[in-house]
Amino acid sequence: MAQKVLVKMENVTKTYVMGKVTVQALREVSLDIYAGELLVILGPSGSGKSTLLNILGGMDTPTAGSVYFDGEDLSRAGDKRLTRYRRDEVGFVFQFYNLIPDLTARENVELAAGLVERPLPAEDVLREVGLEDRMDHFPSQLSGGEQQRVSIARAAVKNPRLLLCDEPTGALDHRAGKLILGLLARINRERGSTVVIVTHNTAIAAMARRVVRMRSGKIAEVAENPSPVPPERIAW
Amino acid sequence: MNVLVKKLWRTIWRTKGQFLAVAAVVTVGIAVYIAMNTAYYNLDRSKELFYRENNFADYYFHVVKAPQAVVKQVEAVPGVAAATGRLQKDVPVLKEGGGRATARLVSYPLPMAGCVNRLHLLAGQMFTGHPRSGAVEVLVDPQYAKANGLRFNDEITVVAEGRRVSLTVVGTATSPEFVYPMKDAASLVPEPETFGIVMLPLNQAQQILHMPGQINQVVIKLAPGADEEKVAEQVESLLEPYGNLASYPRKRQLSHAVLQAELDGLLTTSRTLPVLFLGIAAAIQFIMLGRMVKAQRLQIGIMKALGYGNRQIIMHYAGYALAVSAAGALLGSLLGLVLASTISQTYARYFNLPEAIGGVNARALWYGLVLSVSVGLLAGLTAARGVMAVNPAESMRPEPPRGAGQTVLEHWGALWRRLGPAWKMTLRAVARNRLRFGVTLVGTVFAVGMLVVSMFANDAIDYILQRHFYREQSYDYLVRFTAPVKESELLNIARLEGVYKAEPLLEIPVKMHFRNRERDDVLVGLSPGAALKTVTGVDGRPLALPGEGMLVSSRTAQKLGLRVEDRVTVETLLGIGPARRAEVKVLGVSRQLVGDASYVSLDLANRVLRERGLVSGVMLRVDPGRAAGVEQALNDMTAVSSVLSRRQELENFQQNLDSMIYFTAVMVAFAVVLGFAIVYNSSVIGFAERRRELALLRVLGFTGREVSGLVWRESLLQAVLGVALGLPAGYLMVLGYARAISSELYSLPAVVYPATYLLAALGGLLFVAGASLLATRGVSRLDMVDVLKNRD
Ligand SMILES: Nc1ncnc2c1ncn2[C@@H]1O[C@H](COP(=O)(O)OP(=O)(O)O)[C@@H](O)[C@H]1O
Ligand SMILES: [Mg+2]
Repeated sequence: MAQKVLVKMENVTKTYVMGKVTVQALREVSLDIYAGELLVILGPSGSGKSTLLNILGGMDTPTAGSVYFDGEDLSRAGDKRLTRYRRDEVGFVFQFYNLIPDLTARENVELAAGLVERPLPAEDVLREVGLEDRMDHFPSQLSGGEQQRVSIARAAVKNPRLLLCDEPTGALDHRAGKLILGLLARINRERGSTVVIVTHNTAIAAMARRVVRMRSGKIAEVAENPSPVPPERIAW
Repeated sequence: MNVLVKKLWRTIWRTKGQFLAVAAVVTVGIAVYIAMNTAYYNLDRSKELFYRENNFADYYFHVVKAPQAVVKQVEAVPGVAAATGRLQKDVPVLKEGGGRATARLVSYPLPMAGCVNRLHLLAGQMFTGHPRSGAVEVLVDPQYAKANGLRFNDEITVVAEGRRVSLTVVGTATSPEFVYPMKDAASLVPEPETFGIVMLPLNQAQQILHMPGQINQVVIKLAPGADEEKVAEQVESLLEPYGNLASYPRKRQLSHAVLQAELDGLLTTSRTLPVLFLGIAAAIQFIMLGRMVKAQRLQIGIMKALGYGNRQIIMHYAGYALAVSAAGALLGSLLGLVLASTISQTYARYFNLPEAIGGVNARALWYGLVLSVSVGLLAGLTAARGVMAVNPAESMRPEPPRGAGQTVLEHWGALWRRLGPAWKMTLRAVARNRLRFGVTLVGTVFAVGMLVVSMFANDAIDYILQRHFYREQSYDYLVRFTAPVKESELLNIARLEGVYKAEPLLEIPVKMHFRNRERDDVLVGLSPGAALKTVTGVDGRPLALPGEGMLVSSRTAQKLGLRVEDRVTVETLLGIGPARRAEVKVLGVSRQLVGDASYVSLDLANRVLRERGLVSGVMLRVDPGRAAGVEQALNDMTAVSSVLSRRQELENFQQNLDSMIYFTAVMVAFAVVLGFAIVYNSSVIGFAERRRELALLRVLGFTGREVSGLVWRESLLQAVLGVALGLPAGYLMVLGYARAISSELYSLPAVVYPATYLLAALGGLLFVAGASLLATRGVSRLDMVDVLKNRD
């Protein structure tokens, strides 16, 4: 099957220098991410997953190696270009939601919508994540699962080509977590966004067609999963 | 070292900008406190000492002339502790270079012991009553001696009773009544070049003034507990036969009034400004520490879990405030001492107080330290009491609850909906941090207000200058005669080459009576079409001089409760000829910024005196190129008592502005420190609180500039509100200040020029911008990954 590569990472290395100590968070990682796929990156804490995701999302740049998005080399891009990249192409979902506490659910979504030329209607997206009744609530008035749904809506409203999720269920209970994963799968399916989910929870790997396993800053294995399980049926 | 102390040092080091900013505000507060208090204390002490040692009079009585023996009678009045009779008269001085000055001859009995208002020899030697040389020995005030380059044994020539008299200067001296040697309330400042105090023995004065065995003033010292008013009344009736000209208590004695106003001003400033500064410093620290405790919730929880008690942890945070206060007190004391010595030096230049003004006020230093530390500790303890509420288990949970909610503005639906998310965030952040925003706003308002007040003094002076020298009196010279002359004699002056215009005036010292009240005033008669003197009304607009009736001085009108159409009794106090009484109708109220007089037509003034065609002086407009010649000619006329040159008055006035500019600069600097410190701190706190949020926006794709804009919105709001409220607040402060230092003798007009408002507004915007820029300079370099990872 000839799939289009959306992001190509070539020998990406990330080194943190702290005084005399240097930490190699990523060591010569190469990975292709295909347009429209749902990819799970699995690995123990400290294996470099977040570092990889941050570089993918243009929040950080590699120490060595290249990252190509749609053929363009982002590893040499400056702050301006990276900002535009994040703005136009990427949606983020974090473990701790990271909503703006001073804005209501609707306004948090509108905040992101305002950044792109053709956003999806904010209210529609909020309705899709099941928050039609909570749109005018502030984050502090919402449960963790609800906040994470706002966070997904905020990422999805831009209709980004790349949706990056760092431990999106990490702070949630089982039921709320499954709901979130279901929403991510639906966005992948219905809007064709490329979704990358980073987790240390092996059970979640079952929902992806491809699973990348990381260990100590390296990719240990890329596994194909011919029959992904819908998130509703995953248990952990 | 104790670990907690180490942690405190690290915290201070990490927040050194904020630490310094608050310490700077404390420093200013303490410095002002110490400087003003020291200056006040020293000045007041030397004043009291000087007054006591030289037996400063409690009450003054001026008469036309009285036999010396009347002093014994006055002394016998119950309540009078001591009385001294003397002669005092202003006479023209003929300077060597041809110029003129006025000498106030003041006599002293010899021996001087026991006399009221003794003089204090500063340099040279005491005069003797009958020197062998036959010369008239005199002492002069040091400013006059200096301004005129007089040395000992120099001679000065005065004109008394139509004769030239040579006086030999044997030294310089001062006395409690000449601490601030100003000629009269109509002078703006002392004019040492043209006005001097000349002190001489009574017998010599009597001879020169042709008043053997006579005096024209009695000064008394009251017995402790005596009723001033009652004693004064009795003395007045005793002196009645000799022509009462004036009587006034010490508080209306010019030199004393000026000195006292200065002291009052110092005391007011030393009590208000430090409170303001320390209060704001305390408020900033309260907010800073409150925020620190909130942000370090987790750390506090851990410390508690380890077994630290509330008290230890609270003291740890309060220690921060304590360190700020100690640093501020130390720096403030140093700065305060420097300022105190500058202020004292300035006073030494203006006031003739022989006792050295100086010395460190140890009590002020100690109070300053105590004040600073207790305010700091109070703020620290109050802010840190939040430590008690931290539950160790709960503190370890993520995301401390944050009370976001609807703001008042949100009820204004239409307006709210129109705001973009950026403004909504800003407004909600403000609403969430109402206290911080409020304190910062108050600080900004005060700082902007202080800018207005600091610069206002210049406006007031300039206004006086403009109005006094350019609008109200357009003459180049004011010539006064030793005694009133016939108007026709003015021709001699009008004909002088270079005189463009000469307009007569008749000045009569009077007492005005209305119902049961009275007030001393000067009645000035001007010719109806006078162009060289403009009488202005209370609203500052020129008033036309009526042919009948009077434009009464606003102060007299106020004191007597006069209204237009009232009829006042005017009693003349000329000193020569009999006192006259006349009824004059009030037709308007005039307001003089400098001096104080009521105006009538020349004709009416003559009728009050029951004379015709008399003038006491003349106003001249001259050809600038020929001014020197005119001045020379005037100085040569014996009938001329004084020649007031507008140019010289102006120069003199401007010389006195140096020290004012210095104080303006210091006050402006203080205001800027205040504004800068408070905005900086609040911005640092706000920025720290929103770091995550701002980094997140960067993650979402906002540009560095857009994120900065968000931070700037809050500062902008602060600046605009601060300036908008600060300008009117400044005006109110100006009103209060002007009222505090105005007295019956002089008043400061509460005039603030638009340029001052503009500068203050600009200054306010600048320090808000500068401080927020400095505080948030990292905003475009926010490390997104780092910030999102570190959850405080
Ligand atoms: N800013 C940083 N400075 C130093 N070391 C870092 C930094 N960020 C991450 N690391 C290190 O890089 C490694 C990978 O971290 P991370 O990507 O966050 O792992 P994961 O998300 O898989 O838990 C860890 O050893 C971590 O300590
Ligand atoms: Mg991680």
